[in-house]
Amino acid sequence: MPDLLLVENLRQIFGGRNQTVAVDDVSFRIPAEPTIVNLVGESGSGKSTIARIILGLLHPTAGRVLYEGADIFTRDRKWQRKFRGEVQAVFQDPYSVYNPVYKAERVLRLVIRKFGLAKSSAEAQTLMEEALRAVDLRPEEVLDRHPHQLSGGQRQRLMLARVYLMRPRLIIADEPVSMIDAGMRASFLNILLDFRDSHGISTLFITHDLSTAMYLGGEIIVLYQGRIMEQGETRGVMQAPQHPYAQLLISSIPTPDPRRRWEEDLSTGPLAEIELSAALERDRCLFADRCPQVMKRCWTARPKLGPIEGEGDDSREVACYLY
Amino acid sequence: MAALLEIRGLSAGLQGRRSVTEVVSNVDLDVQSGEILGVVGESGCGKSTLATAIMRLLVPPQVLQSGTLTMNLKDGSRYELLNLSPRALRELRWRHLSYIPQGSMNSLNPVLRVGRQMTDTLIQHGLSQAEAHERSVAALQLVNLEPRLLDSYPHELSGGMRQRVIIAAAVSMRPALIVADELTTALDVVTQRQILQELTNIRDELGATIILITHDMGVVAQIADRVAVMYAGKIAELGAVNGIFEAPLHPYSQGLIGSIPRESGQRIAGLPGEAPSPWNYPAGCRFHPRCSKVFEPCSEYEPGLRTQGSGRWAACHLYDAEVVSDA
Repeated sequence: MPDLLLVENLRQIFGGRNQTVAVDDVSFRIPAEPTIVNLVGESGSGKSTIARIILGLLHPTAGRVLYEGADIFTRDRKWQRKFRGEVQAVFQDPYSVYNPVYKAERVLRLVIRKFGLAKSSAEAQTLMEEALRAVDLRPEEVLDRHPHQLSGGQRQRLMLARVYLMRPRLIIADEPVSMIDAGMRASFLNILLDFRDSHGISTLFITHDLSTAMYLGGEIIVLYQGRIMEQGETRGVMQAPQHPYAQLLISSIPTPDPRRRWEEDLSTGPLAEIELSAALERDRCLFADRCPQVMKRCWTARPKLGPIEGEGDDSREVACYLY
Repeated sequence: MAALLEIRGLSAGLQGRRSVTEVVSNVDLDVQSGEILGVVGESGCGKSTLATAIMRLLVPPQVLQSGTLTMNLKDGSRYELLNLSPRALRELRWRHLSYIPQGSMNSLNPVLRVGRQMTDTLIQHGLSQAEAHERSVAALQLVNLEPRLLDSYPHELSGGMRQRVIIAAAVSMRPALIVADELTTALDVVTQRQILQELTNIRDELGATIILITHDMGVVAQIADRVAVMYAGKIAELGAVNGIFEAPLHPYSQGLIGSIPRESGQRIAGLPGEAPSPWNYPAGCRFHPRCSKVFEPCSEYEPGLRTQGSGRWAACHLYDAEVVSDA
């Protein structure tokens, strides 16, 4: 059985004269069995660009995206239509995705009609109510409301209800919880876990917030300046990151425990030096200038992503000369 | 010793055509000199309105309804912030009282060099050009930026560096009190950690007092000394950070702390329901419709913020002495 999604040597370069390499030779897979894959990185690490390419919204400069073994950019319209049904997006801003004059009911009915999900109006009603309950919304409370009458958390879950109607195989969720409150966040993440466990829906979860990735579990891919630094099982990576960047990132999560505060002072010396000269040579480890364990060879060639030994996790791969 | 800032009975709201809708209700709070006080709560709970009210920067339709704000400085001077003339207030702000609003890292003027933007304010406050330059350099060093950044334009700086410039500008007059609203929300975790550590250094070196408004419980746990938990415009609980995180008293604080993801594979329920908007704050305890421990008095009358010993305060009928003795 082919992988659900296979991303191969993806590269995305923006701009003409002052080129920006947003995605730099990224490959990963989402297996056929239901999984959650977390794609994490700081702003500018290329994670949203990868999402847009996978959704077919952006043609990559180089590389391929295979969905069930088929290249998403070379297939005919009929195939693309099926693909659009099976791969659904949930974006960051729950305020801007809705047409402000459509009530929630119309948002859902449109999907049912476009994709011919119901034969009668009554059946459509049943489908809508089922979808809303699947995301912990009460149909009578939301169906007759306009988007501005719903809270951020409700809007984001309405988006999931819409996705649920389609019964996709994969959800591409780009920072879906960064604009909703902590209390609501857990319930949104639980829905994604339920989708995986009860409905076989996989999620590519894109976030800068490592604590949500940790909660979701599954696999994790750590990006830095468009390259994968480390990947593996979320739990293992969070507990024992190997790449110095992943170590820095994970140790910088503000732990919600006042008895476990940051100890060493991270205040770096010549910060300005580094950030102002961002357009350096890319034929090196891009983390070299911030790495506490930097060696000579880190500056001269790009380290390859490869497996490391002794971590008890076959999937763990790190792009670092230390290993 | 008197608290640096004494907030008493502060209420602020939104002016409607016929009436005022209360957003922040009757807040009593003492901010101690030299502390970092974290103010937390969900969006819409009145955190930012409280901050702008303290700074006297409410803009219509926001209105201040009642209350007093007293600032006691180390030199013994005392200011009633709500009675000051606009001119006296302008004098006080920045010199003794600094505000870093939400999203302020995007408020630098794009066509002026950073140095000009920092020194302008200082010169306004009576410093000479040379003194202003010296102060700006010192302030940049506090946030680990090189003095030569004074010559750059905002677009040449990363988000983290712009946020540091704003912090440097805010502390350049060595104010006694800094109110920072969602200071690190838009930044990645590594930069966030550096900036929070710099903020702690600023407190240690300048002896400044900091009110840090945030929705991120992790940030509060890392750097705050005390925490005020706000819900629907009121303080639900107040106390030392360790106590609040280890044994929160108010069911809302319990829910807030309980909904922090900690470990993979361990499901948490989160907080059911939504925070009410100021137009429909429930009668009685404003949290009672979402509360798992709701009982009789909760829907009838509002609990006051009562002391629970060892510096802890909670506004919840579960801890009302009278109710317990009645039962």
